[in-house]
Amino acid sequence: MRLREWLFLLSVCGVGTLLANWIGSGVSIVKSLPGVVILIAITLVAVVLAKIMPFKLPIIAYCSVLGLLAAAPFSPIAAVVISSTKVIAFAAPFTVVGSFAGIAISDKLGTFIHQGWKYIIVGVAVMTGTFVGSLLWDTLTLKLTGVI
Amino acid sequence: MTYPNLRARIKVEWKSYLVAALFTAIAEYIGTVKLKVGPGMIILFPVFYAIILGMLSGPQVMHWFDNKHVKAASKLVIVGICPFVVNLGITAGANMDMILHAGPALLVHGFGNLLGIFFGLPLAMLLGLRRESIGATSSLNREYHLALINSAYGSDSDEASGSMAIYIVGGILGTIYFGIMATVLGMTGWFDPKALGMSTGVGAGIFMASASASLAQLFPHDANTITAMASAANTIAGITGIYITMFLAIPLTDKLYTILDKMFAGRRAKTPAAVKGRIK
Repeated sequence: MRLREWLFLLSVCGVGTLLANWIGSGVSIVKSLPGVVILIAITLVAVVLAKIMPFKLPIIAYCSVLGLLAAAPFSPIAAVVISSTKVIAFAAPFTVVGSFAGIAISDKLGTFIHQGWKYIIVGVAVMTGTFVGSLLWDTLTLKLTGVI
Repeated sequence: MTYPNLRARIKVEWKSYLVAALFTAIAEYIGTVKLKVGPGMIILFPVFYAIILGMLSGPQVMHWFDNKHVKAASKLVIVGICPFVVNLGITAGANMDMILHAGPALLVHGFGNLLGIFFGLPLAMLLGLRRESIGATSSLNREYHLALINSAYGSDSDEASGSMAIYIVGGILGTIYFGIMATVLGMTGWFDPKALGMSTGVGAGIFMASASASLAQLFPHDANTITAMASAANTIAGITGIYITMFLAIPLTDKLYTILDKMFAGRRAKTPAAVKGRIK
């Protein structure tokens, strides 16, 4: 996908975030705008990095790391990044993604309802195992390292 | 799906943009709903209604969209998830000192997720799922897991459809179920709030949000620690989870499937050729 398409689609999603933050959290669009612009800018850098780096990593890996680096204590832009994104509710960028995800799986609705009960059982088992595994492992490692 | 240029893309997708904006507005207008269930709490986030509205709008119910739009929408998901993940990264970066203090435990945090395979895979196979079960149980099957399964096995593979099914189940039930599990595990009193908060960071932002919000209700004095640990752990899991899923979880699930399939084959027995064909 071309960079121009990325910019356009990110702007579409950015409008969704502005809308969600305004209706859901009562933060005006003007107040959310700098944060949304920063999120889009960092994403674009991640897209470029994913394109030019010799080793193949998913774009979201770059997104996660770049966001972290931009807001880390040693980052020269940390203050502006943190203060402008602070007003964006945690889940606000996600609501519009949910709408797209719903549309993306809407053609499988019938199959899902038909086979659904099996996948519900399996899904619950996977979620339980993942959370419990995570909790046991974290309790162990936090104890071993003396944090708790 | 690739387009010759941006104009061609907009021509196909403009309706998806408008409808998604409409669904976002409706979902956010309904807002976060908290239901008291016994001593616990079920929290429904706006994204949940957005997913349901999206599913209903498609070719099988309301026919607002046909298959062309449905295909295009999965790319929009991948784009939309990026700023969300950046935001998670920023939260972690802003809490860097706390991450460094938590130290090695946080760095290796993502490995705990692997237990999900052992809970899910044998059950999926007993229910009669074949190679779908590899996609279904190798991870929580959030967006980036889905992408990894698709690249490992191909979009039209059985593994990918199993992955998609659990993505749907997780999308519908995950937010609620993680909230319930967090409350139940928190109420046992066996676990430290720090570990509880950290463990909610399974690499799925919305599950983490739901579970850590439930925990924050349960341990109001530790609410800040829980939220910070959850967000940091989720970011770590989001980073390490990509490699853990790619290099460990998927090959492990595949291997385990082969072993279990041989064991179950003995009981099915009758059609050895069919069984053989299933093994890579």
